[in-house]
Amino acid sequence: MILKFSKNSKTKIDEILERYPNKQAATLPVLFIAQREFGHLSREAMEAVAKILETSYAHVYGVATFYTLYNKKPVGKYHVQICGNLSCSIMGGENIQEYLKKKLKLNFGETTQDGKFTLSSVECLASCGTGPAMQINEAYYEKLTPEKVDEILNSLK
Amino acid sequence: MVEITVDGKKITVPHGINLIEAARLAGGFIPHYCYHSKLSVAGNCRMCLVEIEKVPKLQVACNTTVRDGMVFYTNNDRVKRAREQVLEFILVNHPLDCPVCDQAGECKLQEFYMQYDLRESRFRESKSHKPKVVDLGPRVVLDMERCILCTRCVRFCREIAKSDELCVSERGSRNKLTTYPGKALENAYSTNVVDICPVGALTSKDFRFKRRVWFLKKEKSICPGCARGCNIEIHHHDNKIFRLVPRTNEEVNQCWMCDEGRDTYKPVLAQNRLRSPMGFEAGQRTQFSSTEIMPRIQNALSGIAGIDGKSIVGIGSAQATNEDNYALKKFLEITFKSKNLLYHKNESDHPTHDNFLICADKNPNTNGIEALDFVKINTNKKFQAFFILGNLPEEAIKKIALEKKRVVIMLATHDDEDSKWPDFVIPTTTFAESTGTFMNIQRRVQKISPALISPGESRSAWEFFSDLSTYFGKENPIYHSAEAVFQDIVEEHLCYQGLTYKSLGETGKVCP
Ligand code: SF4
Ligand code: SF4
Ligand code: FES
Ligand code: FES
Repeated sequence: MILKFSKNSKTKIDEILERYPNKQAATLPVLFIAQREFGHLSREAMEAVAKILETSYAHVYGVATFYTLYNKKPVGKYHVQICGNLSCSIMGGENIQEYLKKKLKLNFGETTQDGKFTLSSVECLASCGTGPAMQINEAYYEKLTPEKVDEILNSLK
Repeated sequence: MVEITVDGKKITVPHGINLIEAARLAGGFIPHYCYHSKLSVAGNCRMCLVEIEKVPKLQVACNTTVRDGMVFYTNNDRVKRAREQVLEFILVNHPLDCPVCDQAGECKLQEFYMQYDLRESRFRESKSHKPKVVDLGPRVVLDMERCILCTRCVRFCREIAKSDELCVSERGSRNKLTTYPGKALENAYSTNVVDICPVGALTSKDFRFKRRVWFLKKEKSICPGCARGCNIEIHHHDNKIFRLVPRTNEEVNQCWMCDEGRDTYKPVLAQNRLRSPMGFEAGQRTQFSSTEIMPRIQNALSGIAGIDGKSIVGIGSAQATNEDNYALKKFLEITFKSKNLLYHKNESDHPTHDNFLICADKNPNTNGIEALDFVKINTNKKFQAFFILGNLPEEAIKKIALEKKRVVIMLATHDDEDSKWPDFVIPTTTFAESTGTFMNIQRRVQKISPALISPGESRSAWEFFSDLSTYFGKENPIYHSAEAVFQDIVEEHLCYQGLTYKSLGETGKVCP
């Protein structure tokens, strides 16, 4: 299957390409656009990126697998990424992690049956001053408490 | 040019080179894994650390360019200590399965460990495990655990083969060298990655587990696969060839060769090599000794009434050396006053070729044989007696053979359909058993030398013609070496002017 970028994404990619000395140099931002558009970086998505950047599949694959921020496997509608690093843990992050697991009935790396939530533990989100922190899709949530987590998850439709 | 001081030795070196090359010019050596002079600099292995005066930290020599007045040390205590530490890290996850590793004996990890480290491992945790037999493509197998992630192979595919088939995936201790999942490493030069892999991670399917490298003897030669004439080494043992590897010639193949060329040794070892002369006795194909066959050839030729120079032709081969072809030419010229010189070559309808090394002409000596005044078979003239170099189907001479009685003498390497039909077949040598020269596509004359003893009674065409000459009692030169044949070629052919066999050296000389 050949994946096609939407018009919107194509315009964005063109804008991005203008800023780089060559097409391959834009691998990172274009991979993000692909992830946003196709949900995760499937083989087809990586191949579409390679074609647009006129570079090899191998190059795109190497870059995409280097960063954990790119999802190589499908994720739910909401990708809950809870920080498991030091500062957050000192601030009670471990409790929040356990709370999330229990509430969503998920282990890290798993997705709910309805496909709504995926739960992941991630490294420092660079929000150490306001820990415990988590990121859901591209939004940050800070100074988490169990009550706050309930509120946030309930607000997600 | 800039003046630098390497380990206390002042030397002037070209502007712009890195410290590894500069140290080499100063007669020293900086150990390195990821750096390769034909590839871009990656600077990832850190093995090449050196101390530069006025620079507080040690620097990687591969990614540092010489500056005028630079003073650096490649072997002081600080550098030595750093090197030990780098090696310790590289070895942390290395499986150390040298006893079953093909690279053992030519492994930079073994060598540098012996030279620069020699310490016991302090690593007590468990090593990270990865797949050990990964089929990367038709010719190459990967052992991921042995890989030190230097990325030489990745850069080779990207920069030299231009196929960009390899990459390093994931991160940290999970790093893996890989192709894009589901794709094969199958560019036309893929085996070169085995040569440049500094460790035993990439091995050649063809060579794997065949012979420990320290048994191999090395003979300098030329690949007979196409008109490029890549410089090679024949690695052999027990009168068998185990592999062909490229030999550096900046003007021809740099340090690479193609995969097809690597296979050219296989016919040399074929079961059906001709071992003794063959003729016909009472209509039966019969084996003769070299001495028995000579008078028979003479009889057969003189048995044809009215035979003269006009009815005799020599068919040389673009696969054979200049020396073999010239000996044929000379023999016909002096013995029969014949100047009928034709040649045949290997031809296919869709030969592979590219704009790097691989030539569409799959013969190593087309330029050479043409320089000796042989022309391709495409004449209306008819002949009665044929001296043919190399196996050739009967079909090929149909148009130029007289219907009536004819005699065909063939010097053949293999006993196959193409050598069953001539009246006389003389076993002869392949490139791997010959001494002599080829002229490549750039008109570069390059030497080959014999790695093997040829099977049975087979010998070079020039030796055979020297022998046959004595039967015909003519003024033929009797040659005792290919060098002597070459000397005659030089004297007779203008384009060779000024060359001597010795002056060809290891990398050949171009004929104007
Ligand atoms: S690469 Fe092979 S020879 Fe070299 S140290 Fe490792 S196992 Fe031994
Ligand atoms: S396979 Fe060999 S050449 Fe390739 S990265 Fe690993 S060690 Fe280097
Ligand atoms: S440790 Fe959690 S954001 Fe830095
Ligand atoms: S050779 Fe310099 S870092 Fe590898």
